[in-house]
Amino acid sequence: MMLARVADSLYWIGRYVERAEHFSRLADVMLNATLDRSDAAAQTAYIALSAVGDPDMARVSLTYEAARSLVLNREDPNSVIMSLAHARENARQVRDQITTETWERLNLLFLKVTADSTGSEFESGSSAFLHDVIADLHLFKGAADATMSHGEGFRFLMLGVYLERAHLIARLLEVGFGDGRGKSVTDRLALMNLLRMACALEPYLRRYTAEIEPRYILEFLLFDEEFPRSIRFATARIEEYLVGVSRHVEVGGLATPERLAGRLKARLQFADVDELEATGASGLLTTVVNECARVHEAIYDTFVAYSLEMRLPA
Amino acid sequence: MNRDKAFPAVNETEPDVSVAITDTLDSNPALPMTDAAYLPGLAFDEMYIEGGSVRSHYAGVHTRLTTLSPEALADRQKTLERSFLLQGITFTVYGAEATTERIIPTDLVPRIIPAHEWKTIEEGLTQRLRALNMFLADIYGDQQILMDGIVPRELVLGAPSYRREMQHLYVPHKAYANVCGSDLIRDQDGAFAVLEDNLRVPSGVSYMLANRDAAKRTFPGTFRASNVRPVERYPDLLLATLKSMAAEWRPDPQVVVMTPGVYNSAYYEHAYLARLMGAPLVEGRDLVVHENMVYMRTTTGLRRVDVIYRRVDDDFIDPLTFRRDSSLGLPGLFNAYRAGNVVICNAPGTGVADDKAVYAYVPDIIRYYLGEDAILPNIETFLCREPVQLAHVLANLDKLVVKAVGASGGYGMLVGPHASRKERETFAEALKADPANYIAQPTIQLSTAPCLIDGRIEPRHVDLRPFILSGEKIVVTPGALTRVALRRGSLVVNSSQGGGSKDTWVLVDEDERRETRP
Repeated sequence: MMLARVADSLYWIGRYVERAEHFSRLADVMLNATLDRSDAAAQTAYIALSAVGDPDMARVSLTYEAARSLVLNREDPNSVIMSLAHARENARQVRDQITTETWERLNLLFLKVTADSTGSEFESGSSAFLHDVIADLHLFKGAADATMSHGEGFRFLMLGVYLERAHLIARLLEVGFGDGRGKSVTDRLALMNLLRMACALEPYLRRYTAEIEPRYILEFLLFDEEFPRSIRFATARIEEYLVGVSRHVEVGGLATPERLAGRLKARLQFADVDELEATGASGLLTTVVNECARVHEAIYDTFVAYSLEMRLPA
Repeated sequence: MNRDKAFPAVNETEPDVSVAITDTLDSNPALPMTDAAYLPGLAFDEMYIEGGSVRSHYAGVHTRLTTLSPEALADRQKTLERSFLLQGITFTVYGAEATTERIIPTDLVPRIIPAHEWKTIEEGLTQRLRALNMFLADIYGDQQILMDGIVPRELVLGAPSYRREMQHLYVPHKAYANVCGSDLIRDQDGAFAVLEDNLRVPSGVSYMLANRDAAKRTFPGTFRASNVRPVERYPDLLLATLKSMAAEWRPDPQVVVMTPGVYNSAYYEHAYLARLMGAPLVEGRDLVVHENMVYMRTTTGLRRVDVIYRRVDDDFIDPLTFRRDSSLGLPGLFNAYRAGNVVICNAPGTGVADDKAVYAYVPDIIRYYLGEDAILPNIETFLCREPVQLAHVLANLDKLVVKAVGASGGYGMLVGPHASRKERETFAEALKADPANYIAQPTIQLSTAPCLIDGRIEPRHVDLRPFILSGEKIVVTPGALTRVALRRGSLVVNSSQGGGSKDTWVLVDEDERRETRP
């Protein structure tokens, strides 16, 4: 049992920190790609910016500005700096619910990225800067995992993390391999960069060796049971945490978000990469993106903004 | 048992830390603190006796201050400030360009109160709060004290903080002011006196706890050697006090802390206390009143609330009963309170007992209810509502401190000796226009305590805010918030007026300690 507003804030902290980490990684991979004079740079920038930003900025000459904007733009509510500001503001509102160790990691990172020197620090070494931000976010997640009770509050936090993750990875795959708009990525270096954006290159190489094929990438990022950034892994966690938080909801029948998450999980359970090759990946990926939105709504309706008439004590 | 064969855990050598420190001393002749350069002035100094010797209870801290290099002190100050920033012990400054967060200036040199002095403070505050709770029960009951003419009727019933709605309402244990923070000062002779009581929503206790936490890390050795009484029990004593206010038939009462929200300047403290008590931190929008019961919206439905430790002013707790334009409160809360289904702590209407005009009558109030003289004296107070006293105040504006009755936080205040002629003239006009709104007190040279200012140890004026809890019983936490006027010579310690704070060490009574030892 916890305050509905608190659950909502914890969920959003999870979403914002996951987003901040993902955007940092996209910016880092984009900027690294520009170092090579190849088509891969343009393709990489195109993937990253179509997945989260403005694809018109994907011209190589603007890559640096686009990456800088993903990280430091205070006008863009999704930029790293604004995601961290939102996460920290939510954490401040539930300061009594998260451990001091967890709070300090986030607060420290917030103070670092909002300091006056941030712009020049980014300019003098974007790679080191982004590396530190990502490492600090890992520390935050580690502190939460190691010091918070893995009860309801933690489950809402992790729900936010995994829902955001499933959504972001699905968007990335949609841009890379969806057959709707644009062409599928085939350039080997661009494919490697796509794996880097999902923080998946090293685990992929161990699983598939250096044969980098779209088919395997799709299989790995959609269906792998063990890789924490695969959509199957993320949806399994979403279902698990939803079962945990739904246990005490006193409404009849199976709670809706749990049912939706089960359905999404089952959809992934029975799909495989052969089917995707035949029909194209975009159908399944679109389903994932849409279902994430529906789970989000259902969480909100069930735990946060439920109607009071339904819940008045008898 | 043969002790010779005991397995030793340390060898014979005693590392002599003081030697190392003296070495630093020799290599650093420019010390931040020397006895000759420390000039306390007219006021009572917490560390020095007039003539230059150090009070015995300050010996440890004094030695430490005179042996640390300026760099070491500056480092410790920096570590202290960083730890406050990291923990988010900040208040928000809303500027035109950007909002920034600042820490309240915190000084690393502790202020020390010996056991025998604390005993007087503790007894005095307990007595005072007992009497003030009886006073509140009386004026919201039969009003005997008004009928007996001890306190003027119009002074109480006409005060803006008097709440007619509280008349004849049952309050458990007659404990109206569950949390009280009274401000004490020392006069020139070093005697403690009460400057004002805070019975509404006193704040600052998180600084008492955070300062202690920091002091232990800043001066661990000195702290250990000084036998300081702990303040860390405050949160659990607060919880016990709040639970003692719940109805007996509610076996495991649900206590919540109610905050105006994250934009309130004391938000950190609200979250801090909620966390340390393990109580949910709620805002008005988290609560619902249904059939005169208060519920909070949880993830699993509505959950009954028994005790609300509210950090929201009376005016804003219930728009149906008090201020209609308030969006912070909970409509219907007061009716639920009246029905006895929820307890609000502190009770609404306690402000009438810390009114600056009622203050002048507190010694009479104590005598009236307890038949005792006040252990802690008041500061002499002139009520400008009385024409004779007003004339005296106007004639002596250059010597007095004049305060608006309803204001707090150092606003609406004239410090006569520090004001210009023009300021005094302007203030005199306001005074004449609405004399009942003002009181005046002689300018007290608050005591000074050593503070680290720009790399040097200098005396600064301080006051003392201990925290008193009252529910089933009254408990005074052995510690306090010491507020510091950081500007040289300034007597205003309020944080809104550039004040800071420091840790306060209440020492263990050595006699009692010896007696209780086996």
